[in-house]
Amino acid sequence: MRTRCNLNYFVCIIGIFLVLGPANYAGANDFEQLRKDSAKIKTIQAHFVQKKSMKILSRPLISEGRFYYVAPDSFRWEYFKPLRSIVLAYKNNTKRYIASGGKMVEDQTGGAQALKIVLGEVAGWMSGKFDQNPSFAATIHEGANTIITLTPVGKSMTGMIEKIEITLSQKSTTIQSVKIIESANNFTQINFDNVEINKTINPSVFQVAQ
Amino acid sequence: MKGIPLLILTIFLLSCQTLPLINSPLAPADEKVLTCPSPFLKERYRLVHAIETSVAGKTQSAVIGVTLADPFTRFVSCAVMTVEGMVLFEAESGPGALKVNRALPPFDSMDFAKNMIEDIKLIFFTPDGKIQKKGNLPDGTTACRYHEENGDWIDVITDKSEGIAIKRYAPGGILKRQVKFNKTTGNIYQSIELQANEAFNYSLLMTLIEAEPVKNE
Repeated sequence: MRTRCNLNYFVCIIGIFLVLGPANYAGANDFEQLRKDSAKIKTIQAHFVQKKSMKILSRPLISEGRFYYVAPDSFRWEYFKPLRSIVLAYKNNTKRYIASGGKMVEDQTGGAQALKIVLGEVAGWMSGKFDQNPSFAATIHEGANTIITLTPVGKSMTGMIEKIEITLSQKSTTIQSVKIIESANNFTQINFDNVEINKTINPSVFQVAQ
Repeated sequence: MKGIPLLILTIFLLSCQTLPLINSPLAPADEKVLTCPSPFLKERYRLVHAIETSVAGKTQSAVIGVTLADPFTRFVSCAVMTVEGMVLFEAESGPGALKVNRALPPFDSMDFAKNMIEDIKLIFFTPDGKIQKKGNLPDGTTACRYHEENGDWIDVITDKSEGIAIKRYAPGGILKRQVKFNKTTGNIYQSIELQANEAFNYSLLMTLIEAEPVKNE
């Protein structure tokens, strides 16, 4: 159960990024355009900085990592610090690794099977069915930046996620940030940079947790 | 048939455990001046740890733990989150009151919350109970034994080479928790190992990410 919850959260982070990768529809309020753009994605890689804010923390807890994706279903979501961990998905095989005693060891909490299931949800997002995901209601707000707000509609994320805000950069037409709001004082902001679309990625990136 | 009572007696004797013997210093005056080891917080602190969970010596998973602890009021606030930032558990405890603000499965039982707060207090706060004994354990280490209100016994042990350890025993003498501060110099909370003896034994390895005194919050 915990694994499923965690992975839903993980899917939120990855799935949003995948579906909005090129984001060259910024300024449009048409999800159909989004579907067309999503079809053009072959690979994505980006660096990210994650800032976790909550009441108990005086300042955000900063994490840093890198994300890789190759269509149709290869992922690597890696944190470098403060706690090194990697999620790898490759050829229908999904595993999570954590750093322990100087090496990467597989997470034993039994999440791999559940991860396969939720990554199926990601596939839906990847194909641009962004406004058709029954788990979220999506709205677009046009302003200085385009902000897409996702609100959970099902019970699967009740008590976990209040809403998700995705900010798109109008100038660069790429995702600028994702904000996952769990409650008023508890949210996670992920800022992306050095986003590279359709650049060749070595398959070993998805096979080796190093 | 004669063997059955003997077997029962043997099992009974084996199940009875006694606390390790603490030998008092020869002179009572020496016991008075013997300083108890104190790895505990001296002021209000916020600590963030990477927490690695192991069962039967095998690493299971890792999470991030945040602790806000005040040794004067014995107030504890804590949170457990995934590496991705999702908060799995959040609670606070003052004298006599435990409030769980968020608890996702499998962290949603009151026992988990209670045990977690107790473990935090064991690591960071001087024991609540009175000192019952000071002296040396048979291996030569210095130990102070506290008797808690609920009947538990807490030994705080120091070894010049291996650092400080805390052991919590049930009233009957069964070891429930063992805390080891792996760092003998610098920040004592840099690396903490907690061994729990429950229905299934597990251990936590806590590695410090950041720590700061909290002045005005």
